[in-house]
Amino acid sequence: MTGSTAVATPTRRQELPARPNSLAGTGVLLRFSLRRDRIKLPAWVGGLGLFVVYISAALPQLAPTEEDLDSVVPLFTQPVGRMFTGPAFGMEAPTYERFFAAGYAPYLYLLAALMSIMLVTRHTRVEEQTGRAELVRANVTGRHAALAATLLLATITNLLASVVVAALAISAGFAPTGSALVGLGTGLTGMAFAGITAVTVQLSEHSRTAAGAAGAVLGASFVVRALGDMTATGGSTLSWLSPLGWAAQTAPYVHDRAAPLLLLAALTVATVFCAYLLQGRRDLGAGLFPARRGTAHAHPWLGTPSGLAARLQRGGLLGWGVGIIALGTVDGAFAQALLDAGEDMPPAMQDMFGTSGLLDGYVAFLGSFVSVLIAAYAVFAMQTLRAEEGSGRLDAVLSTRMSRTSYLAAQVCVVAAGAALISAVTGLSTGLAAAGVTGDWAVLGDVGGAHLGLLPGVLIVLALAAVLYGWVPRLMAPLGWAIVALCALVTLFADLLDLPDWLVTLSPFGHLAELPLEAFAASPFLVLTGLSVAGVALAVFGFRRRQVNVV
Amino acid sequence: MQMSDAPVIATHRLVKTFGSTRALDGLDLEVTPGEVHGFLGPNGAGKSTTMRVLLGLLRADGGTVRVLGGDPWADAVSLHARLAYVPGDVELWPNMTGGEAIDLLARLRGTLDRGRRDELCERFDLDPTKKARTYSKGNRQKVALISALTSDVELLLLDEPTAGLDPLMEAVFQETIGEAKAAGRTVLLSSHILAQVEALADRISIVRQGRVVETGSLSELRHMTRTTVVAQTDQPAHGLDRVGGVHDLTEQDGQVRFQVDGDRVDQVVRALAPLGVRSLVAHPPTLEQLLMRHYGDEGTAQDVSGQNVSGQNVSGQNSREQAVPR
Repeated sequence: MTGSTAVATPTRRQELPARPNSLAGTGVLLRFSLRRDRIKLPAWVGGLGLFVVYISAALPQLAPTEEDLDSVVPLFTQPVGRMFTGPAFGMEAPTYERFFAAGYAPYLYLLAALMSIMLVTRHTRVEEQTGRAELVRANVTGRHAALAATLLLATITNLLASVVVAALAISAGFAPTGSALVGLGTGLTGMAFAGITAVTVQLSEHSRTAAGAAGAVLGASFVVRALGDMTATGGSTLSWLSPLGWAAQTAPYVHDRAAPLLLLAALTVATVFCAYLLQGRRDLGAGLFPARRGTAHAHPWLGTPSGLAARLQRGGLLGWGVGIIALGTVDGAFAQALLDAGEDMPPAMQDMFGTSGLLDGYVAFLGSFVSVLIAAYAVFAMQTLRAEEGSGRLDAVLSTRMSRTSYLAAQVCVVAAGAALISAVTGLSTGLAAAGVTGDWAVLGDVGGAHLGLLPGVLIVLALAAVLYGWVPRLMAPLGWAIVALCALVTLFADLLDLPDWLVTLSPFGHLAELPLEAFAASPFLVLTGLSVAGVALAVFGFRRRQVNVV
Repeated sequence: MQMSDAPVIATHRLVKTFGSTRALDGLDLEVTPGEVHGFLGPNGAGKSTTMRVLLGLLRADGGTVRVLGGDPWADAVSLHARLAYVPGDVELWPNMTGGEAIDLLARLRGTLDRGRRDELCERFDLDPTKKARTYSKGNRQKVALISALTSDVELLLLDEPTAGLDPLMEAVFQETIGEAKAAGRTVLLSSHILAQVEALADRISIVRQGRVVETGSLSELRHMTRTTVVAQTDQPAHGLDRVGGVHDLTEQDGQVRFQVDGDRVDQVVRALAPLGVRSLVAHPPTLEQLLMRHYGDEGTAQDVSGQNVSGQNVSGQNSREQAVPR
C-alpha cells in the first residue's frame, strides 16, 4: 500500500473512487432483501391483484347491466361518497370500468402507499435500530447501500404491482389506457410514499416513530384529498395538494390524462434525493433529532401492573387517538355540506345511509367507520405485548412479584380503556362539530350513541387478540389484522359488493344496533361485552399455562 | 434471613426439551443457603434455560425443581418476592430512562431502597437520566444489576451478569456480591468468565450439554486435578517424568514445565530438590483447566460434530489425557 505513494495523483483517485463506494454492496443487499421478503411482497402484490379481480367480478353482480349502475352511482357522486373514494369522474355515463376507477381504485393507491411505508421502514430503520445494520455496514457495504437496495426493492415491488393491476384490469375487459393509468397510479403512489418514508426514517432513531410519521403524512394526504374531492365533483384545489389525489386525477377511462402521474414521479425523485442528503449528514443508528434526557427516578405508579401497562401503551394511544379524533372531527364538520348536497338524493343512496334521514345515516356510518379504526388500534396495541416478550423484557417483569394474571389483565384493561376513551372523545368532538355546523344540538347525542353503541364490537376484537396472545401468540398478528380487515370490508363494502351473509355475520359490528338508525338494543350490547370479558379470562388462563418467550 | 440447611435451589434430573433439542438432560443442581454458587459452562450448555426454569418462565419436562422450598412454576409470584433476577441479555424499554427502569423493577419486586439505589448508581458510575436506547450493553447490564442489588431478597439469580462490564466495573460488581454474601443472601452466578467465578464462588457446578458434570468447592475440584510446576534447575531434570503422577513434561533452556497430580506433589518436590532448584513456580489449576478437562474428557465425539467447544484445545488436551494411563 505505502509503496505506491509515488504514483501520480490521478491514478490514486482511481484507487479510491469516492462516489461508487457509498453504494458498494447494494446488489448483494437487494438479493438478500428479496429473499427475506419472498413471501411478504408477493402476498401484497397478490392481494392488490385479488382486489382487482374481485371488484371486476362483483360489479356485474351488483348491477347486471351497465344501465343498472345509474341507480348506484350516487354512492360515489354525493359528497360523502367522494370523501371516501375520489373525485368521481365520468359518473354521468357510468360503466363498470369507470365505476372501478371511481370507487375502488383509490383503495389500491392507499394500499400501495401502506405497503411501501412498511417495506421501507422494515429494511432501513428497523435494521439500524436492532443493530443488524451495523453488522452489515462493517462489511464492504457503502453508506447509502442499504437505502439504495431498499428503494430498488420498493421499485421492483411497485412495478410488479403496476403490471399486475393493469394486466388484471385489462383482462377483466377494461380499456387498456385507463387500466394502465390505474396500474401506474398504484405503483407511483407506492413509490411516492416509499420516498416519503425514506425521509422520515432519517429523522428518528425509532422505527415506530418513523413509520408513524410516514403514516401521518398518508393520513393527512387522505384527509386533504377527501376534503378537496368532497368540495366538488372532479376535485378542487385541495385535491391537487394531496399525493393521494394525483393518481385519481388521471381520470382513468374518462379523460385518460397521464400528466398528474408526473407529479408523483417528481415527488418520488425529490424525496429520495432529500433522503440521501439527510443520510449523508447523520451517523449510523442516530436520528437527526437527538435523544433527550429524562427523569432519574420513576414515578411511583410506574411500579404497578397498570402503571407499567399505561406507560407502555401511552405512545400508541396518543398517536392513534389524535389521528382518529381529528378524522372524526373533520367528518363531523361536513355534516351541513352533506345535507345541502343530499337534498335531491336518489333512492340508491338510501340503501347505504338508510331511509330515516340522511344525517342519521351519515352519523351511523361515521360510528361504524371510527369503530373499525379503534378496533385496529386495539390490535396494534396488543402487538406491544409480543414485542415485550420477544425482547426478553417480559422475563425481567415476570421474575418480580407481578403475576401473569395481573400483567395481562392490566395490559388488556388499559387498551380497552384507551379504546373507550378514543371512542367517547371522537363521538364528542364529531358531535360537537356536526352540531356546530348544523345548529341541531340533538345530533350530539346521536353521534355519541353511534360511537359508544359499537364499543362492544371493539372489545370483542381486543378480546380475540388477547386470547390469541394467551394461547398461540404467533397467530396474534396475522389473525388479529385479518379480523380488522374483515370488519373494514364489511363496514365499507357490505352493501356495495353484495358480500355473502356468512362473511357479514363474522363482523361483530353487524350484531350491534346501528344508532341512530336503529333503537339501542341492550341484549347484543351486553352479550358482546360479556363475551369480551369471558375472552379475557380465557386469555389469562392460556397465558398462565403457556411458557414465556418460546417459539 | 433464613439460615436453615434446606437447599435454596434443588433440581433433580431436570429435563427440558425444545422440539428435538434436549436443552437440559437430567440436570442436578444444589445451592445451599448463603453460598455464592458458580454455574459454569460454555455457551449453549443450558445455563440460561436452567435460570428460566428456576423462574417458572419455562416448564420442566421431567425431573423435579425446588426454589426456596417452592415449585417455581406453581408458586412463581410468591417466590419472586424473595428473589431477584438479572438476565444475560438485558433489554430495556427504549423510551424509559435507566433510573426509571431500576425503580420499576425494584418496585415490582416490592421494595425500593432509595439510598441504596443512588449509592449503587454512583458506584457503578451510571447516569440514570439517560434514555435506555442510548445505553451500551454494559450500561443496560448495570441497570438490571443495580435494580436487583437494591432489592432486599434472599436469592440472586445472575445470568452472566458482567458480560458487558469493563474490568473496573467488574471489580465493583465483585465487591457488591461480597456484600450480598455478607448480608446472608444466596447467589447463583452463571458465567463463562472463569476468573470471576474463581474470585467469588464458594462452590461451583460445571454444566455441559444440559448436565452438571462436576460440582463442589474449588479446593475439592482442584484436588482432583493437577498442579502446574515451572522450575529452573542446575542439573537437567530428565528423570523427572519417571516419577509417578507427573505429566506433560517439557524442557527448554534449562526450564522444566510439567503437571503433577494433586496427591503426588510431595514426591515431586523431593525429586526436584537434589537437582538444584534456582526458581520454582507452582500454581493450582485454573478453572480453565478444569473446564477443558471436562470438555476434553468426554467431549471428543460431540466436538467432532462441532458442538460448543473449540476443537483445537480439546484435542490437544485429549491427547495428553490419553497419554497418561499408558
